Amino acid sequence: MLLAFHPTHWDPSWAEYVRAYNRVISNAKSHGARLLSVVGAGAWQMLVFDDASLDFPAACIDAGPIAERYGVVDGPAVFLIDPDGRVAWRHTAGSSPPSPNDVADALAETLPADAGEHLGMWSRRQFVATTLAATLAVALTRRIARASPASTATRPTTATSTNAVTLRVNGRDLSLDVEPRVTLLDALREYLGITGPKKGCDHGQCGACTVHVNGRRILSCLTFAVMQQGKEITTIEGLAASAGAKGDALHPMQQAFIDHDGFQCGYCTSGQVMSAAAVLREPWGPTDDDVREAMSGNICRCGAYPGIVAAIQSVRKSSATDQGGRR
Amino acid sequence: MKPFDYSVPGSLDEATRAGARPATRFIAGGTTLVDLMKLEVETPEHLVDLNPLGERDSSLAGVSDLPTGGLRLGALARMSDIAWDARVKERYPVLSQALMLAASGQLRNMASMAGNLLQRTRCPYFRDTATPCNKREPGSGCSALRGYNRSHAILGTSEHCIATHPSDPAVALVALGATVHVRGAGAQPGSERTIPIDDLHVLPGTHPERETVLQPGEVITAIDIPPLPFARRSLYLKIRDRASYAFALASAAVALDVSNGTIRAARVALGGVATKPWRSTAAERALVGKRATAAAFRSAAEAALSGAVPRTDNAFKIELAKRTLVRALTEVSA
Repeated sequence: MLLAFHPTHWDPSWAEYVRAYNRVISNAKSHGARLLSVVGAGAWQMLVFDDASLDFPAACIDAGPIAERYGVVDGPAVFLIDPDGRVAWRHTAGSSPPSPNDVADALAETLPADAGEHLGMWSRRQFVATTLAATLAVALTRRIARASPASTATRPTTATSTNAVTLRVNGRDLSLDVEPRVTLLDALREYLGITGPKKGCDHGQCGACTVHVNGRRILSCLTFAVMQQGKEITTIEGLAASAGAKGDALHPMQQAFIDHDGFQCGYCTSGQVMSAAAVLREPWGPTDDDVREAMSGNICRCGAYPGIVAAIQSVRKSSATDQGGRR
Repeated sequence: MKPFDYSVPGSLDEATRAGARPATRFIAGGTTLVDLMKLEVETPEHLVDLNPLGERDSSLAGVSDLPTGGLRLGALARMSDIAWDARVKERYPVLSQALMLAASGQLRNMASMAGNLLQRTRCPYFRDTATPCNKREPGSGCSALRGYNRSHAILGTSEHCIATHPSDPAVALVALGATVHVRGAGAQPGSERTIPIDDLHVLPGTHPERETVLQPGEVITAIDIPPLPFARRSLYLKIRDRASYAFALASAAVALDVSNGTIRAARVALGGVATKPWRSTAAERALVGKRATAAAFRSAAEAALSGAVPRTDNAFKIELAKRTLVRALTEVSA
């Protein structure tokens, strides 16, 4: 069993880790081992790894007792645990995960290469290891379900009651405990680490926090998280996948914003893109003025409006062509 | 934001019971309430979420035909649902236009129709807890009377409050003579009553904190629009500081029944200039029986604004409202 720890925050520059871990996952399989978890809290939960079963919430460093037990205090760490539950190999140094080659070597040394041939058969040792993994996973799940806000700024100053809330964000059910006064925007950003929706004005005037709920664009700053249970919430992180894009492919609207210079500083962009993607599903007219009116709830201080209109019009025209082609 | 507890009622009657408790607010779209709770202008201790009732009972959230030929709008229908509805666009274009000219695409997807009627004023002093405001804190005084009052009302004001009612759709609904269905009257969970929409909102008078005739616990369940064949030619004209996404400085909702150049019937309501959605029967009387001419429209506008009381910064609204009404009447009769 492989166990990976990460700091709870996510840095976009770590995107390459996904590839590294995918190599580790495939190596582990050939040795009959499993990577238990690389997913930390927040944005980590949004990552998609090759192993579909890899959705245990987290072995994040803030997980406390478990990280403590393994002596992890900082940076990424990976442990190879042998079938007897002993740590056979570890990587705890540095600020990046181990190289997949190192992990492969460790696997080869710890687990005989032919172990893979017996996959599907349950030895007592494998059973013990799997049970251990499952127990750990449950413990971790509970920790994350009670995850505290990532930022102390929004932490309540008085003790008030919280509600257990499950939000379905970008196709995943995420559990958290929040006070009723936590807005959907704060729940996404501060509790779940999904920081695509931006906090601009926080009063429903700028549109930076725009997300889709059941396919419609709304302002996540003006609704409470407790009110959004059972709804399909889509943020910019999940927009491409919601439209059927695979892997790293962008949503057509994201690509159009790049192609047409639809932004400068970028702060309003995720809201603009989310709004624009929904606008094309609404019964607006086809003119530039229609687009401007439809988009008037999204403010851009840099004044990238001409590029934004051009981006939206280009997607409208190409999707109209697509539909024409299918007819 | 002050902490509060949150509950989801299992039925309308449960909602009216829960809503009758002190310091309780209903929440639907939340677009006004959440904003004001962040400002601590609204500080409810209990929040009763009406939205799940609409998910269970589509009559609370949809549009349906009335046997009379009118339309019933569910209280929890979203502004965008009503704005885009083909029947509304055909029979009551003034309402569809008022909705489309209100707020933004995102807000229209959230805000409910009943919530829109009950939205609070945008008076900056009402929204600022550091300043006196009779509406927010009865008896504390009105900061707008001698403050910066460019956005404030010129009709229906008192010496205690000059806050403008911000809704556009409410102005259209007042012109159309809509009726509001209410449940939980007299704190009796099952009881119902209907209120002509013109009677829903009250003038500020000496009690600006009272904005409607609704009693604690009462829930709006539907808005009925009566059949009004000539409303197929109706119009909402909104004048504001920006081309889009701004509250009205002045607006007019008009419908005219013109036959052989003579006005048989008229509906006129003004927005952005009054303390409540402002139906002007004086303007309607001035129009009926007259030829549909610029002179008739101008005299209707004079009648509509005859009682206007200007303050330091909003005197311009008198002429602006008149011209807005004249242009709306001109366009709708063109």
